[in-house]
Amino acid sequence: MRSLVLLLAATAWGADPASLLRDRCLKCHGGEKVSAGFDLTKAGSPRVMAKVESGEMPLGGPRLGPEELAAVRAWVEDGAKPLVAAPRKQFWAFRPVVKPAVPQVAGAKTAIDAFLLVKLQAQGLGFAPRADERTLLRRLSFDLAGLPPAESLPYEKAVEAYLASPRYGERWGRHWLDVVRFGETDGGEHNFERALAWPYRDYVIESLNADKPYPQFLREQIAGDLLAPQNPKMVRATGFLTAGPWDSVSAELNKDVAMKATARMDELDDMVTTTMHTFQAMTANCARCHDHKFDPIPTRDYYKLTAVFQTVGFGTREVVTPEAKAAYEKATAPLRAHLKDVEHKIADAEDPVRAAYLRKAIRAFHEGRKGEARRIPVNPVFNVNRIREAGELRLVITGHDGPVAKLDWLTVGGRRVEKWQAERKATPDEPVYLSLGVVAAPGEMAWACDEQWARKPGGITVYRVEAKRGAEWAEVASSLDHVRSVEVSLPVAPDPGLVPELKRERDRLKAEIAKIPAPERIYAAMPHAPDQAYVLERGSIGKKAEAVEPGALSVLPAAFAADKDRRLALADWMTDAANPLAARVIVNRVWYFHFGNGLVNTPSDFGLMGDRPSHPELLDWLAASFVENGWSLKWLHRQILMTQAYQQSAAHNEKAFAADAGNRLLWHMPLKRMDAETLRDSMLAAAGTLDLAMGGPSFRLHRMESGGSYIFKAVANPGPETWRRSVYRFNVRGGDRLMLDNFDCPDPSVATPQRSSSNTALQALTLLNDDFVWEQAQKLAARAGSVGRAYELVLGRAATARELDLGGKYAADHSLALFCRVLLNTNEFLYIP
Amino acid sequence: MTRRDLLWNAGGGAAGLALAQLLQGKGTHFPAKAKRLIMIFLPGGFSSVDTYDYKPELVKHHGKETQGANTITPFFGKRGTVMQSPWKFAQHGQSGKYVSELLPHLATCVDDTTFVHSMVTRSNAHGPALFQMSTGFIFQGFPSVGSWISYGLGSENENLPSFVVLPDRRGLPPCGVANWGNGFLPAVHQGVAFGNQEQPIANLRPPAAVNAKAQAASYDLLSQLNEEHAGANPGEDALVSRIRAYELAAKMQLAAPEVTDISGETAATRKAYGLDDAEMRDYGYNCLLARRLMERGVRVIQMYNGGHFGAPRVNWDAHEDLITNHGKNARILDQPTAALLQDLKQRGMLDDTLVVFTTEFGRLPISEGLGEGGRDHNPEGFTSWMVGPGLKRGFSYGSTDEMGYKAAENPVTLYDFHATILHLMGLDHTRLSWYHNGLQRRLTDVHGHVIKPLFA
Repeated sequence: MRSLVLLLAATAWGADPASLLRDRCLKCHGGEKVSAGFDLTKAGSPRVMAKVESGEMPLGGPRLGPEELAAVRAWVEDGAKPLVAAPRKQFWAFRPVVKPAVPQVAGAKTAIDAFLLVKLQAQGLGFAPRADERTLLRRLSFDLAGLPPAESLPYEKAVEAYLASPRYGERWGRHWLDVVRFGETDGGEHNFERALAWPYRDYVIESLNADKPYPQFLREQIAGDLLAPQNPKMVRATGFLTAGPWDSVSAELNKDVAMKATARMDELDDMVTTTMHTFQAMTANCARCHDHKFDPIPTRDYYKLTAVFQTVGFGTREVVTPEAKAAYEKATAPLRAHLKDVEHKIADAEDPVRAAYLRKAIRAFHEGRKGEARRIPVNPVFNVNRIREAGELRLVITGHDGPVAKLDWLTVGGRRVEKWQAERKATPDEPVYLSLGVVAAPGEMAWACDEQWARKPGGITVYRVEAKRGAEWAEVASSLDHVRSVEVSLPVAPDPGLVPELKRERDRLKAEIAKIPAPERIYAAMPHAPDQAYVLERGSIGKKAEAVEPGALSVLPAAFAADKDRRLALADWMTDAANPLAARVIVNRVWYFHFGNGLVNTPSDFGLMGDRPSHPELLDWLAASFVENGWSLKWLHRQILMTQAYQQSAAHNEKAFAADAGNRLLWHMPLKRMDAETLRDSMLAAAGTLDLAMGGPSFRLHRMESGGSYIFKAVANPGPETWRRSVYRFNVRGGDRLMLDNFDCPDPSVATPQRSSSNTALQALTLLNDDFVWEQAQKLAARAGSVGRAYELVLGRAATARELDLGGKYAADHSLALFCRVLLNTNEFLYIP
Repeated sequence: MTRRDLLWNAGGGAAGLALAQLLQGKGTHFPAKAKRLIMIFLPGGFSSVDTYDYKPELVKHHGKETQGANTITPFFGKRGTVMQSPWKFAQHGQSGKYVSELLPHLATCVDDTTFVHSMVTRSNAHGPALFQMSTGFIFQGFPSVGSWISYGLGSENENLPSFVVLPDRRGLPPCGVANWGNGFLPAVHQGVAFGNQEQPIANLRPPAAVNAKAQAASYDLLSQLNEEHAGANPGEDALVSRIRAYELAAKMQLAAPEVTDISGETAATRKAYGLDDAEMRDYGYNCLLARRLMERGVRVIQMYNGGHFGAPRVNWDAHEDLITNHGKNARILDQPTAALLQDLKQRGMLDDTLVVFTTEFGRLPISEGLGEGGRDHNPEGFTSWMVGPGLKRGFSYGSTDEMGYKAAENPVTLYDFHATILHLMGLDHTRLSWYHNGLQRRLTDVHGHVIKPLFA
């Protein structure tokens, strides 16, 4: 197609040398861009002749043919006059959205169908026949809920029911989380967990279920913390900005100043990249080192965008007013004190040896230190610090005996560290850090480095405890203020018989405390003091050029309000009426997930390197109508679901296939392999084991293995607490590859606007042999009780007589559970009609 | 359909690609020198000034403050004094290559080896540097070298993965499986980590309750049901591909235990690989397994010598005590690696196998802190080597300055290094690409020059 255009143009050049030079030379040498300081719109030059004759120019393009060379020669002989650049037609993505008239097409049921049929009919094609009701219902259910249908409803009623169901937000929220690279560990070397990143996931699900107008959804994710800093729901939304990977080692540990500054630029780059990909389908990140090679995005625009995100850091923030915080502390104090006491009793009763040991040790310690000043030296056997703050804590060791610091044990907030030793020597300048995890309530930290009084070298002598407050670590205790032993309550003689009752009391107290609403802590955008932004030459931190203020892409006429907060200004700019991208991008995403084919098949790239819309008028009609209808996503789904295009069958059509193998024209609705989460959730649903509890902390299929850095291994035998919808799974970066990963569930290290749908032997091994599948197959067999019922539960249809016979024989020879395992492996189950 | 459509249909994966197509790969761009690759990776930072990069100046200046070229801020910020290598260097082979006494067995291989002494990488932190060596990018989530080659060349066998990873038994390397991820390439190109001998690949064996007869019957019934379903849905290639995938799985179930069972290897071979030595045994087994996998047509093997940063440290990150750390690790590394090279040579496999030996960065020629015995990270000059067809053997390329701080002559970026590996495998690094989020992504980003002076 493109070579054809070139050919036609080449013929035209023969007549007009100026036009030839315009087309072949001005892209690089014409005012907008001036390569090698050579601008043909300012001055022509006879040197052009030598350059094109030698083939040196046009750079990267085909050489000029004899006729073309003659034309250039004529231009030179005519005095090589400066050229006037022809006004360039604006690239499609930047043109304003203009709502086109709906074409009149016989047989078109909806406006969308009319646009599609025009193109199909031009090829002598049409839609496939309507699919049968069972197929349609199954398609709809997997598409909107990500689960097999639970009941039989007429199609139109089913559309409304599925859109109203909370399952909708879970299913489409998962799509969104792919696009925004939502992960719950930092990634990289340390790969720390983000135990409180899940509130963003819940925000997405709730927002979609509530059908929040899209501009509001966008605005809250970019600047929710500014719209309502005390409203946890709004702060949760900004988890979007910090959902990506974060290199804590380069940001916090690295002593090389330039490397550290580069790491900060990488953080900003991640936010710019994801924001512009997600909402604008613009690859602004390509302009970090040089002007965008293909799209009209100068480096300056890129650095203006980095300035927008200068106010964002990474970390966990508490969303509460000081008054509310104090009130909470006051309300829970007696309960927490009581709880601690009960927990101590339980611990003592359950481990009497340790309790007795501690009693003895404390007494000895106390006797030995009688009369000393309050500031007592650290004791190798037993030390206690009062920690007056909850949250993420770490131990910072700056001094110790022996080559490396060691701990025999340490407990804080119910967490226990056993037998730890540092990797290297700690010094005041080079402390060694030990993460103490997230501690739920203020309390005590008790620890010992030489439990046996063995005088082992390595005892910790100087340390502090730090709590994470926002992006900063603040000291909350240290070796200078550890508590005198007399202040520590001595464990009482334990009575194991009391344990059950104590545990009931503990649970009651915990429930009591849980009833009092606690300030919410969220991994989301942290306030960050903005630095002045600069254009960096070649992206290098050492080469600061001009200073820039916050701003956005200069190619669009939308307004960026300099007097507003920078992130709010960006949100306004993206949804401004003069910015056509936000609406086009989201309607295309929705279309893509429904059909498996986008109108633009690069949903996060509407630039020159991206796809061209297959149906530009339809895209604009959808974008304009979407805006007219209050930017309602559910409205948009409804329009799509009611089309003939969506309701047609998968029927194969040789003629259509020959004309359009990729199905861009939508001549049928091809089978789609279930994505990883749908597959797992549907197995649970068929087995009757699916737990539909919504929201809250993520369940884990990976466990953390600590050793200086974290490695995430598969949890052995995950139990029923993990039988929840997969969207609630703890999303690890770089974890062991498990069933979901084998089925193309992406690692959230990079954004995934489109998943692969691969077909591998490892998938076969997983579905056949994985313990999870086998366990669910057994549950399914117990639930179904017969081959016939198993067909209904798994495939949503009655078995044929032949299938009953075949399956019955197999089940009799082996077992119904093994038959169920086979059913869960069938293509009919795996492929959505 | 335009070329662009084809690309996106492949990338977007709207329809499952035919499995056969995936297995075939895209093919070489020009005749390949090597058809298999093994990358031996030493995570943590393997010191070149203590092994292959002989620096007599360090002896002369031992204990002195550094001056001149050194503007590096060590990762932990602690400047020390010049530290000579605790190991003595001597010349070896026809090429007279200097190698330290730390690697006596590998020293016997120098005449087959092509050294690059001027490697530079972009980060002084393990994570980004590991990612860059493994994937070309300092960020997580890009396809690994092995995934790119699997995508480019496809598989050479029908019953094993095309890209196998052999992690050190002492633990996964830092950043774990992200070092061999397929990134945005289809999952068929992921590195498959071989675990224990019993179950080398996850889910290779059926659950304990399922006996062999039932398993075979399951395959039969499934294939029957799937054939019927595919027959009722003509034109859907993916359905047929999946039937093939199950056939492959069944073959893999047989092939994987066969390859990991080394009982047929001779006593001499086992001894050569160090299998009778408690320390070397695990790594030696991996070296031997690597050869067996390559014999059976595995395209790429990424093998680790070293794990993550636990305590005690089980990789090459010698911040505190170089002598103990490198001494212990080198003992594990040296004999089995040399045995692998010799074994490959003896079997004629070096004629079409490329062996690459590398780390994420080297170590500084100064001590880490005054009077200490460790070395901090050095991303600005370190050594890697290759052995394989089409390379000048017994040859050294590039150099660091006289102290070993920075690459001096012919610096080689990782882009160059990767471009050269691809070139030897018959792939043009500028053409091996995949559309992702607005760019035709490459292993070498927008950089890289093939280092032609390495070629014979």
